[in-house]
Amino acid sequence: MSISCEFDYAKPDTLRDALGLLARHAPHGAVPLAGGTDLVAWLRDGAVSPGFLVDIKELAELRGIRRKAGHLWLGANTTFAEIMASPLVRRHAPILAEAAGMVASVGVRNRATIGGNICSAVPCCDSGPALLVYDAVIHVATLGGARRIPIRKWFLNPRQTALTQGALVTGISLPVAKHAGAFAKLKRYRGEDLAQASVAVRVDARGDWRVAYGSVAPTPIRGPKVERLLRGDLKPSSARRKEAAAVAETEVAPITDIRGSQIYRRLMVGVMLRRAVHLAAARRAGRGPAYGTNILEEDAP
Amino acid sequence: MSAKRVIGTAAVRVDGMAKVTGAAQYVDDMEFGPGLLHAVLVESPHAHALIRKIDTAAAEKAPGVVRVVTGKDIPYMFGLYMQDRNIFARDRVRFVGEQVAAVVAETPGAALRAAKLVKVTYAPLPAVLSLDEALKENAVLIHPDLGNYLRVPWFFPRPGTNIAHWRKTRKGDVEKGFRQADYILEDTYTVPRYAHCPIETHAVTGLFDLSGRLTLWASSQSPYAQRGVMAVALKPFGLSHRDIRIVTPYVGGGFGGKAGVSMEIIGAVLAIVMKGRPVKLNWTREQEFMNTSQRQGVIARIKMGVKKNGQIVALEHTLHWDAGASAEYGANVVNAVGLSATGPYRIPNVKIDSVCVYTNMPPCGAYRGFGYSEFHFGLESHMTRIAQAIGMDPVQFRKRNAIREGDTLAYGAHMNPGNLRGAIDRVAKEIRWGKKDKSAKPGKAVGKAVACFWKAPAMPPNAASAAYLKFNEDGSLNLCVSGMEIGQGFLTVMAQVAAEVLTVPVEKIRVETPDTDRNSYEWQTVGSHVTWGCGNAVRAAAEEVKARLLATVARAKFLKVEDLYLADECVKSRKDRKFALPFRSFVIDGIMRSNGNFIGGPIHGTGMFMPEFTSALGDPETSQGGHPNVHYTVGAAGIVLEVDKETGKMTVRKAVLAVDVGQAINPELVKGQIVGGLVQGLATALFEDIRYDANGRLLNPNFTDYKIPTTLDCPAEIIPIILETPQPDGPFGARGVGEHTMVACAPMVADAIDNAIGIRLKTMPLTAEKVALALRGIDYDSVKGDTLGFCFRGKPCDYRFEVGGH
Repeated sequence: MSISCEFDYAKPDTLRDALGLLARHAPHGAVPLAGGTDLVAWLRDGAVSPGFLVDIKELAELRGIRRKAGHLWLGANTTFAEIMASPLVRRHAPILAEAAGMVASVGVRNRATIGGNICSAVPCCDSGPALLVYDAVIHVATLGGARRIPIRKWFLNPRQTALTQGALVTGISLPVAKHAGAFAKLKRYRGEDLAQASVAVRVDARGDWRVAYGSVAPTPIRGPKVERLLRGDLKPSSARRKEAAAVAETEVAPITDIRGSQIYRRLMVGVMLRRAVHLAAARRAGRGPAYGTNILEEDAP
Repeated sequence: MSAKRVIGTAAVRVDGMAKVTGAAQYVDDMEFGPGLLHAVLVESPHAHALIRKIDTAAAEKAPGVVRVVTGKDIPYMFGLYMQDRNIFARDRVRFVGEQVAAVVAETPGAALRAAKLVKVTYAPLPAVLSLDEALKENAVLIHPDLGNYLRVPWFFPRPGTNIAHWRKTRKGDVEKGFRQADYILEDTYTVPRYAHCPIETHAVTGLFDLSGRLTLWASSQSPYAQRGVMAVALKPFGLSHRDIRIVTPYVGGGFGGKAGVSMEIIGAVLAIVMKGRPVKLNWTREQEFMNTSQRQGVIARIKMGVKKNGQIVALEHTLHWDAGASAEYGANVVNAVGLSATGPYRIPNVKIDSVCVYTNMPPCGAYRGFGYSEFHFGLESHMTRIAQAIGMDPVQFRKRNAIREGDTLAYGAHMNPGNLRGAIDRVAKEIRWGKKDKSAKPGKAVGKAVACFWKAPAMPPNAASAAYLKFNEDGSLNLCVSGMEIGQGFLTVMAQVAAEVLTVPVEKIRVETPDTDRNSYEWQTVGSHVTWGCGNAVRAAAEEVKARLLATVARAKFLKVEDLYLADECVKSRKDRKFALPFRSFVIDGIMRSNGNFIGGPIHGTGMFMPEFTSALGDPETSQGGHPNVHYTVGAAGIVLEVDKETGKMTVRKAVLAVDVGQAINPELVKGQIVGGLVQGLATALFEDIRYDANGRLLNPNFTDYKIPTTLDCPAEIIPIILETPQPDGPFGARGVGEHTMVACAPMVADAIDNAIGIRLKTMPLTAEKVALALRGIDYDSVKGDTLGFCFRGKPCDYRFEVGGH
C-alpha cells in the first residue's frame, strides 16, 4: 500500500503538547491520528491530504473507563474491543456495549476508538445512536481550556461535528441510571458491514423511552415522535409496537445508494424499532436474550 | 500384487505445511534487490473517449522517476483468443480504469505521486453502456477495426457492429417442437457482472536482462499461455518463445481471473523498456476489480416447450452478453454457453443464440463456471417453473429429462458417462425433498430446492499437457508439470497419480509450481481439466519410468520383464518372492554386475496428452459437425433455506451437492471443491452486488461494498456427495470437477425462496433487500436508483433481443 500524500508526523507525550502541535501546524492541515482505521484508509484513497499527523494514541489523558460522580467516563482512545469487554460499560451502558460488538470486524474493533468514531461522524457511525439515547456528553480540550458538548449538538452534517479546529476530544461521559435497551443494525450479511440502518432504544424504570437512528439521515438522529408515543409504557403491546414502527418510518429520511434503497431502509427501521422495543421491554423486565445479539440475524423476539 | 492404492485416498496436501507456516512464496514476497523499480499506472476516467494528448513532462521530472511509458511507445495489441486488447490505450480509451500510461520510479510512493502529474487530454465519445444501444443499427462502434483482429477460427465477429462473437446451435426443428408441446413457458432472466476477488491481487515482476532474456514472475493460472500470448504480442521487440520465461510461484486464488493474460503484459513491456532492471507492478484491490476481467453480465430469454407427460420437446435460449471493452477471453465464455445452454437435459429440438457484445465497461473473461452459472440461473429456474405449471414434481421432472450416456448433444456429439439421476436422488434424499419443513421460529419460512448442473471444459481442440518425471538418488522423484496450484490441490493429485503407478509414497514426490524453462508444457489451469488432462500426462510419464525400471532390472539381472512388477518402492519378481530391488539402490547409479560394470543410469520419463478426438470446426450456422467438448461433469445440488418474512434475510440451513467425478483421486480435495464452490456460488446468489454509475464507473471496487462471505455467512451444514462413474479416457477414470460446484447455487436459492414464500426472483443477485421488498409487492428495479449491475437498464421483460441489421 502506498500513500501519495507527504506529511510530517509527531507523537507527543502530553495532551498539552498535542494541542500545541495541532495549533502550530494548523496552517499545514494538522490532524490527529488515533486508531487510524478511517484516517489511514482515507489517506490511502487520497480523500484527505493533511500536512501533519499528530499521533494521540498513547496520551494518558485520553485513556481509561471510570465511574465518577454519577457518570460513566470513557477516554476518547477507548477501543470498541475495550468497550465490549468492560464490566463497567456492560453494566452501565449495555446498549453501547451491544453496538460496539457490531462495529466492523475483530481487527478493526481492536484498533478503532470511540473518540475517532464520533469525530469521523459518518452517518452510519455505530456509536452515534447509542450515545444519543444515553444523552452522552463529549469532553473537548483546547489550548484555551475544556468544554463540554452534549451529543445532540455534536453531529452537524456527514463528517462534520461541533469540534473546532485544533481541539481534541478527551472523553465521553454518560449519566448512570437504571435502564434497559437494545441496538439493532441492518447489514448486507453477517460479516463486517457499515449499517444500512440502525436503531437504538433505551427505556428506564419510569417508562421514559429514548430512540435514535443511524444511516437514515445526514447524521445519527433521535426519534422524538416514537419517544412521545411510547412514553410511560413499560410493556408496549404488540399493537403499540406496530404503531411505533409506523411512526419510526416517518421520522427518518434515508437516501438510496448502493448500500440500500430508501424504501428498504425506511421499512427496516420500522421492523428494527418494533423488535428493539420488544427486546428492551423484555430486558427491563429481566427477560430476553443477553446483550450482544443482533436481533436482525438471530431469532425475532 | 495388490499394492496399497494411493488413488482414492485423502493424501495430505504437498503444499499444506508451506502454506500454513507461511513458508510458501507468492510473487510479492520475492526479493529482487535494491535495483527493483516500481510502476504505477495512469488510468482512464472515461468510459469512452479519444486521447488528444498525453503530457508526461512534469511526471518525468518528478523525484525518483526513471521513465514514463505510453501507448505511443508501445503501440501493440494482445489477446488469448482474439487480439482486441491494447497493452496501453492508444488513440482511444474504452473503459473507466483502462491503462493509458505507466510511471516507473525508484519507489512505489514516487511512482504514485508522479502518476498524478501525467496530464491526459481526452475528447469524450458517447459511451455504450446498454446492450440495446450496443446492438442497434448504426451503434457507436467500440472496435472499428474488429475485422482486422487476429482471432481463433471458431469465433465469428461481425465487423461494423459491436458483436464480438455469435455462437449459433441448431438441432432438430424448434418450431415443430413447440407445435408438439402441451405447454410453453417463455421468460427473461438477468445475471449481472461479478468479480473474482482472489485474496492475492494480480502481481508481476519482470526482468529483461542484459542478454535479452525476459523473465516474468507472475501470479498466474497460465504460465505457458502467457508465454504464448506474449511471444505473439512482443514479436516487434524481437522476442520469441525461447526468449521468454514465466515463473509462477504459489497463487493466492485464481477463479479464472488469472487465466490468460491481463496486466502481466504491462509488466513485461515495462521490463523491456527498463532493460537490466527488474520492474514490479502490483494491482491494488480497485484495479483487481476494474482492470483484470470480470464475469460477464447476461440477459437471457428462455422459451421451453413440454408435453403433459413431462418430456421437454423444444428449447429456444437466447443470451446477450455484456463482454465489456475486450472480448479476447470472454467471447469463449459466450461460445461455451452457446454450445451447452440446454443444460444436462435431453432435448430433441434446440435453438441457441449466444451473442457476445462489446460495451464500454471493463473487460470480462473467464470466471469459475465459464458462463454455466449464468445460464443455469435462468434455465434451472425455468425448469422448476415449468414443472409447477404442468403439475409435476420439479425433481421428477428433472429426472425425466436428465441426460444419459450416449444421448445426442445439441451440437451432434454424444454424451459421456455420468450419473445425473443418481445425483438427483442422493440430493433429494439428503434434504428430505417432498417433506415440507416448518421453521420453529415465528415469522420465518423454510424453502427447499434441487437444481442440476453440468459443465465441460472450454478448450481449444489441441489443448495439451505434458509431464517430466525424474528419480533422485534417494529414490524420491521430481515431477515437473505446469499446471497451477491455485488452492485446488493440483500438486497433491499429480503426486498421487505418479505414486500410484510407481508405488512410491506421495511425500517422496516433489511437485512444485512451474517455470516455463524447466517444467513441461501445460495449456492452462482452467476449465476444471488439469486433473484429467495433466493427470493423463503424468500417468504416461510414470508408465514410462516404470517401463525403464523394469527394463533396467531385467537387463542387469537377466530376468524377464513380464515376471517383474513394482511394489513398495522396489522392483519385485513374481518368480522369486525374496527378490526386491529398492529403487534407491539403482535409479541413478545403475546396477552392478559381478564383474564390476554397471547397467542402467538415471531413470526419468516423459508423458503427454492431447484430446485428439476433439474439433472446433462445427458449422457456424448450426454448430453441427464438430466435437468441441471433451466431456461434461454432471451433478445436482440441494438447499434448505430459511427466510425471514419481514427482513428478507436468508439463512442456509443445509446445502448438499452430489457430483459424478468419475474417480475421486483425492476425496478430501473433491470435498474441498464442493464446499468452496457452494460458498462462492451462494455468495453470488445472496451477497455480491456489483454497481456501476450511469457513466460506467464502478462504484464498489472494494470489500466495503462488494460483499464476499465471511465464515459467519457460510451454510450451517454442507453435505458433499461424490459419485464415481468412471470416465474411460481419464486418469484412473477421473473427470474434471471444480467449477461445477458453484453452478447450481443461484437457481437453487431462487427456487427455495419461491418454495418458502411464493416469490419468484428472476434477476440476480437474490439479496435480502429484494426479497423483503418483493414480500411487500415492491419491485426492486423501480427503487434501486440509476446504478447498473451490467450494461442493462429497464425491465428485463421489455428487452427485445433485437440485433440491428440482422
